[in-house]
Amino acid sequence: MALPNQQTVDYPSFKLVIVGDGGTGKSMISFVSLSFGKTTFVKRHLTGEFEKKYEPTIGVEVHPLDFFTNCGKIRFYCWDTAGQEKFGGLRDGYYIHGQCAIIMFDVTARLTYKNVPTWHRDLCRVCENIPIVLCGNKVDVKNRQVKAKQVTFHRKKNLQYYEISAKSNYNFEKPFLYLARKLAGDANLHFVESPALAPPEVQIDMAAQQQHEAELLQAASQPLPDDDDDTFE
Amino acid sequence: MDDLEKAILIIFDESGTVTSELKSQAIAFCQQIKDNPSICSICIDRLCFSKLVQVQFWCLQCLHEVLRGRYSGMSSDEKSFVRTSVFSMACYESLDNSNSVKVLDGPSYVKNKLAQVLVTLIYFEYPSIWSSIFLDFLPNLSKGGVVIDMFSRVLNALDDELISQDYPRTVEEGAISGKIKDAMRQQCVGQIVRAWYDILSLYRNSDSELCAFVLDTMRRYISWIEIGLIANNTFLPLLFELILVDGLPDQLRSSASGCVLAVVSKRMDSQAKLTLLQSLQMSRVFGLVAGDGDSEFVLGIASLLTGYASEILDCLKNLNGDLKRASVELLNEVLPSVFYVMQNCELDTTFSIVQFLSGYVATMKGPSPLTEAQLFHVGQILEVIRMHIRFDPMYRDNLDVLDKVGSEEEDRMIEHRKDLLVLLRNVGRVAPDVTQLFIRNSLSSAVGSSLDINVEEVEAALSLFYAFGESLSEEAMRTGSGILRELVPMLLSTKFPCHSNRLVALVYLDTITRYMKFVLENNQYIPLVLAAFLDDRGIHHSKVKVSRRASYLFMRVVKLLKAKLVPFIETILQLITVIHAGSDICFVVQSLHDTVAQFTSMDYAAKDLSGCEDGTHIFEAIGLLIGMEDVPLEKQSEYLSSLLTPLCQQVEILLASSRVQNSEESPSKVANIQQIIMAINALSKGFSERLVTASRPAIGLMFKQTLDVLLQILVIFPKVETLRSKVTSFIHRMVETLGSSVFPYLPKALEQLLAESEPKELVGFLVLINQLICKFNTSVQDILENVYPVIASRIFGILPRDTIPSGPGSNTEEIRELQELQRTFYTFLHVVATHDLSSVFLSTKSRVYLDPMMQLLLYTSCNHKDLVVRKACVQIFIRLIKDWCARPFGEEKVPGFQSFVIEAFATNCCLYSVLDKSFEFRDASTLVLFGEIVLAQKVMYERFGNDFLLNFGNDMKSLKSFYQSLIENLRVQQNGSLVFR
Repeated sequence: MALPNQQTVDYPSFKLVIVGDGGTGKSMISFVSLSFGKTTFVKRHLTGEFEKKYEPTIGVEVHPLDFFTNCGKIRFYCWDTAGQEKFGGLRDGYYIHGQCAIIMFDVTARLTYKNVPTWHRDLCRVCENIPIVLCGNKVDVKNRQVKAKQVTFHRKKNLQYYEISAKSNYNFEKPFLYLARKLAGDANLHFVESPALAPPEVQIDMAAQQQHEAELLQAASQPLPDDDDDTFE
Repeated sequence: MDDLEKAILIIFDESGTVTSELKSQAIAFCQQIKDNPSICSICIDRLCFSKLVQVQFWCLQCLHEVLRGRYSGMSSDEKSFVRTSVFSMACYESLDNSNSVKVLDGPSYVKNKLAQVLVTLIYFEYPSIWSSIFLDFLPNLSKGGVVIDMFSRVLNALDDELISQDYPRTVEEGAISGKIKDAMRQQCVGQIVRAWYDILSLYRNSDSELCAFVLDTMRRYISWIEIGLIANNTFLPLLFELILVDGLPDQLRSSASGCVLAVVSKRMDSQAKLTLLQSLQMSRVFGLVAGDGDSEFVLGIASLLTGYASEILDCLKNLNGDLKRASVELLNEVLPSVFYVMQNCELDTTFSIVQFLSGYVATMKGPSPLTEAQLFHVGQILEVIRMHIRFDPMYRDNLDVLDKVGSEEEDRMIEHRKDLLVLLRNVGRVAPDVTQLFIRNSLSSAVGSSLDINVEEVEAALSLFYAFGESLSEEAMRTGSGILRELVPMLLSTKFPCHSNRLVALVYLDTITRYMKFVLENNQYIPLVLAAFLDDRGIHHSKVKVSRRASYLFMRVVKLLKAKLVPFIETILQLITVIHAGSDICFVVQSLHDTVAQFTSMDYAAKDLSGCEDGTHIFEAIGLLIGMEDVPLEKQSEYLSSLLTPLCQQVEILLASSRVQNSEESPSKVANIQQIIMAINALSKGFSERLVTASRPAIGLMFKQTLDVLLQILVIFPKVETLRSKVTSFIHRMVETLGSSVFPYLPKALEQLLAESEPKELVGFLVLINQLICKFNTSVQDILENVYPVIASRIFGILPRDTIPSGPGSNTEEIRELQELQRTFYTFLHVVATHDLSSVFLSTKSRVYLDPMMQLLLYTSCNHKDLVVRKACVQIFIRLIKDWCARPFGEEKVPGFQSFVIEAFATNCCLYSVLDKSFEFRDASTLVLFGEIVLAQKVMYERFGNDFLLNFGNDMKSLKSFYQSLIENLRVQQNGSLVFR
């Protein structure tokens, strides 16, 4: 399989379908987290090779992501169908020939989790019996609405679940590793090099973090903090 | 191939040979076709002739879209045409008997798409328009697997798209789903079940895959069809046969067990449920779980058994008398298999296991003693818990050094353990003796276990013991109920072969700390406690994370056992410095110094060391011990001087070298000094003001000398922020410890601290001054008169006269520091005013700052966004008015103040700021502020009389009526409960 203006590769490649409500950060997983744009950077870090192809006319973005495993290099063509509801989209037609999938939701928006079963159903209608990972994104955000314990859908449908933060690269590689293992039928497969990740975007958290640290500092400078009470549990 | 087919192939192209331009054209073309009035027949036509799966998929997708979007606008002929055509396709018929293509020969996704189209028709037409769809389908099933497969797909799609409650649905969809189910129940469910039975009987040996598919469909329907259709003497034997016959494929057996689970889980009244469960004779499948624990079939049986057991548990909870006893019997029968499953199957359902066991344990609560069976089950439950909380030995090294993998595994386990340990505590409450015995046996078998698992076994056993402690009463803990009396001393005297492991060492320390109240009552074990904390299981452990934790926990233990430890002080000091054993004071000093370095080395960045474990706790512990009044003065002086003298000498040497070199301070030197200050600081916490100032002034003298030395640091390193803050902390401590005898040191100290005037430093300084004022009140008047002008000039030079910018873009470190300084300054002014020190503002040198101060207070009292700050400012005004304005017509102490208050404060703060819409009476802090404003007015009226009132325009009446209405409004909102101060 290949895409316009992209070379085919001579190592195993898989069509990975990424679905979920808009705004859950679907594109983040294949897009923002990877280093891109800087050719020299890509040349130096071969694992982080990044190209993308956006076809606004058909409302889908396809990103090839390469991973080095102990069994060799593999490629995921990540089909991010963000614009599929748009005029002219193929909708579930994009799922055809999907070999694995990621369903994303946003732990800070309850509705996106509520819609997960529907995404799963639509996906399974076209792709029967493919490995699927459920990803709760944005776990870096303080006031999450969907707690880890409330996420139970994956148990019913036998999916793998990961909590991720695309913004801070937390667990970024986990879904890919799981899918690679399933596709290779090798539970011990592992990545031999970390993919070159873009530096985490942390500006938003920094403010909160600094505020937090400032408070700690202030607390520490108060007179005679008795930092330990006498109560034994 | 016609144009439409070509266009469809282009839009589905993944070969990379099609340009974007061509793709757009193709999409536009297809879109245009969709708008054609005869689109339905165009699609159906292609479906009859095109072998291209893309075309088939596109046409079905298009039909679905058209039906969803335009059904009501379609003619009845068109609807009928679509209905007939689609149904024929689903029944594997050719539309014109010639050379035509059959959709059912296509791939699954095309067949599923067809099913989706049919279900859309069902949505609109069943049962009113097309009531015969299901009945029409049934005769076609005899055509064989292809149609049976399609029928199942239609039923699955019906479930997914309309019936199943797993998906979010609108109210309308819910109503339609109810209507469809009712019609099916009445019309055809019986016949469908009959068809299922026939298919299974016919194909079980020839096409197991088909049978499994049919069973999976059936499983979805059992929850809402009449249960008697399945739970009867015909169907159940068939299902059990499929499960039990060894030669059948796993997939089929597993699907059959899924159906039995659906029967078991059917919602019904408890008594009927019990009868149903009894009739299943489930014991015949118990043995099946002994197979390969990872196979799909065994996992299916495992789910069946746990589901079955949960249902019995529900019956047991809801039924009474004989029925309850029958439930208990049934449960006792299945529990051994459930425990087996929990220990041997890789289930991703741990959560429900815990829930189930918790439910079971809950049934044991009550006055009657546990039965033998229950006691046996408790043991099994404990075994399940122990197994599930055990780390996997494959992570041993990762966990020991706590690398990324290790810390992820640790986090995962902490989360995983939470529920299990809650369960353990519940078990511990209903069966404390069994639990204790289990823990003891776990510990002893863990010690003896083979090397490849002993770390994990020991860690798990200790974690159980630790968690168990939480369920113990204070009384049980102190007296050592049951075998605790044996267990605690046994643990204290144990050194595990794997004690060098980080996790083992940590949980060991936490566990013995938790049981320390037992030692409080049983002092004979104190030497064991000391050894455990002070040898290589504790502060001398090879891993710094362990030794620091030990140092912290030891400090807590010292706090608890303090008085009992007096006879052991010598021993403790020796044990702490045991590495360099020797009575020679130099050695002790040397080793102490190493200890200082060991416990306070500067890797704050290491995030796993929480702020409270910086290693100084061992000095706090020593301080607590030697600071006790029970220690004779002579001994106390000796201990303290043996600690303070060398530490101070160290500082002096370091300072002297800096003085000579006059060079840039080296980071290691700074770190070194910092460690020493922290150690001394921690040490001093054990000495009370009474002891140091009243009963043993000689000890006080030693601290004064230390203070002298440490104050030198400010002279030599005036610019090193970390050292300043550490010395400041030490001054804070000495204020508390030395009381007023610290006074002679203050002028010099304060002068040094004031050398820097960055916002951060000023905040630290003000906090210290606030402490002094709060502790010594007017005694610090002289000191304050000297420092206030300096403080005021700095602060008015830094703080803006009005608002510090806020909002987007202003969240910088500088602005945060300014806000902090502002807040601290208001606190300072408040503290000064409320401690009878307002005359400080009037001294000759301070006078010049009076006006800016009043302007700042005025502005803040009216405008600050934090109402608590505004309240503080109003309170300051109240104090100043009381202090500076005598009774009406008295002499003016501060010329101009009274008129400022009346003209500026009374008008702007007491009137206009209240009228602002930001003044929200429903807000509690606003109300408190308002209370202060009213109080201020009362005070002003008392002091200024008519001068105050006249300011409001000579009109006493209008003022009164304004306030009256204001207050009445307020009363309404506050339900009349406002209290005027």
